[in-house]
Amino acid sequence: MASRALAYCVRSVARSSARLNHGNVLTRSACAPVVSNQRLLSVISCSQRTRWTELVRISGPSVHLCRHYGDLPPLTLESIKERVMYVLKLYDKISPEKLQTSSHFMKDLGLDSLDQVEIIMAMEDEFGFEIPDAEAEKLMTPAEIVQYIADKKDVYE
Amino acid sequence: MAAVYLTHHQKVLRLYKKSLRHIESWCIFRDKYRFYACLLRARFDENKHEKDMVKATIMLKAGEEEFWANQHPQPYLFPDSPGGTSYERYECYKVPEWCLDHWHPSEKAMYPDYFAKREQWKKLRVQSWDREVQQLQTETPADGPKSEALPPARKEGDFPPLWWQFVTRPRERPM
Repeated sequence: MASRALAYCVRSVARSSARLNHGNVLTRSACAPVVSNQRLLSVISCSQRTRWTELVRISGPSVHLCRHYGDLPPLTLESIKERVMYVLKLYDKISPEKLQTSSHFMKDLGLDSLDQVEIIMAMEDEFGFEIPDAEAEKLMTPAEIVQYIADKKDVYE
Repeated sequence: MAAVYLTHHQKVLRLYKKSLRHIESWCIFRDKYRFYACLLRARFDENKHEKDMVKATIMLKAGEEEFWANQHPQPYLFPDSPGGTSYERYECYKVPEWCLDHWHPSEKAMYPDYFAKREQWKKLRVQSWDREVQQLQTETPADGPKSEALPPARKEGDFPPLWWQFVTRPRERPM
């Protein structure tokens, strides 16, 4: 809500000064940290229903309008999948060659339910949020885990 | 979870998980935690082939009591889990979707594509509501539903029952 108001202010400032300072702004934004660009983009792209679809940055003194709270880069389905597979490959009871996204822990990989609990705990540690037991006992393949995490984290819902 | 009661298997798994989390809270160094976690796993493994349920229940109760005696007073909780720092922090920003209908037309004109699509979705919902209700009525047993899980859509081109609430649920982290 605050970010939407900020985005509106950003848009109005940008609209007024975009044409003048387009060249300067690009060089200045190139040296701004990557996270700030992503944050700025995400704020602008999330309110993308306006006509303002080109990548306009704001100029000079007002470039630090957006607050960069201590936030992580946004998750994508591929990044979640990579992290899940990476953690699973590190587990010593799974051989990395046999691991696929659709391999069932009990049937294909021959793991125990205690192993599955440990795997779910590793996923919780990796992504930083708790998976309740009722839903954790149903997650039996890496694809299901990816789907659950994407569900909880609003990734391409 | 299908029923309200937990099976023995589920209880054992929950005990395992919470005791691992509390060991993690006690042993802050990772290698020490790993050592004690392996010891705990070995203790669970040697009894896992017990077929006699009476003995198994007694062992589970003893395990729960041992957990209670050895639990950490301030275990590590994830921020989003109950008791954590950001649990339900964003609940007040999760506005229900019917509030979108109360926007002023000038505000709605700022997002024309979205509201056009929204009108189509609402028409779909109106059309499929009767079929969903009928499906639920036919599939629920006479003395009430057994669990909270909703059945999936049975026929082609049909929507699963009460899909609207699921589809329009607020994001986990509202903007």
